[in-house]
Amino acid sequence: MGGAMAVLPVQDEELHAYVDGHLPAARRIEIEAWLARNEEAAQRVDAYRAQAELLHELFDPMLAEAPSEAVRALAEQLNQRLAARRRGWRGWLNQPVWRMAAGVALLVAGAVGGFVGNEAVSPRQPVPVTRPSFIQTFAEEAAQAHTFYTSENRFAVEMGADNREALDSWLSEKLGRTVFGPDLSGFGYHLIGGRSLPAPGGGAGAQYMYENDDHRRLTLFVGSPQGGQEQAFSYAQRGDVSMVYWVEGSLAYALIGQMNHDELMSITRTVHQEVKAGQHHASPSTATPGTDPMPPAIQPAMDVQPKDS
Amino acid sequence: MTNFGIELGVHIASLRRYARSLLRGDPSEAEDLVQESLARALSRADQFKPGTNLRAWLFTIMHNVHVNQIRQKVSRPVEVPVEDVEQRLVSPPRQESRVELRQMSRALDELPEEQRQVLLLVALEGLKYDEVAEALGIPIGTVMSRLSRAREAVRVKLGAEGGGAHLRRVK
Repeated sequence: MGGAMAVLPVQDEELHAYVDGHLPAARRIEIEAWLARNEEAAQRVDAYRAQAELLHELFDPMLAEAPSEAVRALAEQLNQRLAARRRGWRGWLNQPVWRMAAGVALLVAGAVGGFVGNEAVSPRQPVPVTRPSFIQTFAEEAAQAHTFYTSENRFAVEMGADNREALDSWLSEKLGRTVFGPDLSGFGYHLIGGRSLPAPGGGAGAQYMYENDDHRRLTLFVGSPQGGQEQAFSYAQRGDVSMVYWVEGSLAYALIGQMNHDELMSITRTVHQEVKAGQHHASPSTATPGTDPMPPAIQPAMDVQPKDS
Repeated sequence: MTNFGIELGVHIASLRRYARSLLRGDPSEAEDLVQESLARALSRADQFKPGTNLRAWLFTIMHNVHVNQIRQKVSRPVEVPVEDVEQRLVSPPRQESRVELRQMSRALDELPEEQRQVLLLVALEGLKYDEVAEALGIPIGTVMSRLSRAREAVRVKLGAEGGGAHLRRVK
């Protein structure tokens, strides 16, 4: 059947790969068209997906349980050992997120003629195999955290945003500084919760997660920079995910979302205004004008996606 | 510097959940499995090649530790009533899902362990098929056939007990 459409036959293995999200977009669309005409296979797909949902319902609750002290200690030791091994290894520069951060470093070095910290990477050097500065590592980790947790549905946040004050004070306690999730409902993004994560330099970081009605997610990662040097806004893009990061006062911020440059910049302005003003629960109609109409010195938008990919 | 902080944290959460789902009976037994696996990973940290798949490496270690533990305890099978497990695992109980969850829990118990491992690693932990093959030390074709058999067995069980009708379509 289905002779009119030139769709390759769908094997059992491919149906599983479809359910598990391992197929390229083009083939996924073909299979969806095929499923629309194949009720039996569509029921299997539904059943397999329902199984995964039930497994998450059964076992995700344990993630809220704190690990034992022994497990926590071992994890910390393993973290140090692996990080030590990773330092100085050139292969890790090939990791996409890292290449993005390295590209950003070059971009900033070229545009501003210097870089936070004492790296001063010369654009003529082919590959900067130096120790990453705080802001590079911070940007890399924020991007990683975004990728990991925005793809999780049940494990996306550690604490929900039902009680925003509780969320803010919990994360503020973790960081040892007052932080809060700015109100972005003016852009259609609603705070769904947050989590505490390790930040570069050893302290705690806070990730606030937002979602819009299309289930697109935006994260704001906040951490404490070393040295406390202020850092102008930097913009990076990989695929359809954009990131802006900066250091303001005693905190570093990274705002990341699946959106274009202009949209992310508008949201950045609001976030920047709110954190500067320290507004805890601003009205949805954005912050009061006049406090800080433009963030200082936004770097030129530039796609720093590696050329060879 | 904690370059691995977030990534490792995510993987350890995943290891803990997998251990719990694999060793249904006793939470402390699952935590012991994680602990022993991390201890072994620490002792072999020098063998990990930076830039290779950390998650597959960790799951491989855990699988090997698990296999050794089974060999050591083969004389002591642990049977725990499904209801007890659910009591611990499902909190708070979702009223509309109770029947489905109980059925899923039982269907999982009734799977052969080799199929249960593959199903949990793929459907719960989201490992790619080649990562599962690496972790369990089996060819990828075997991963696919075990996955297929496990999913069909669970589907038939949930369907046969009347639960299938309640499984909503997930878009």
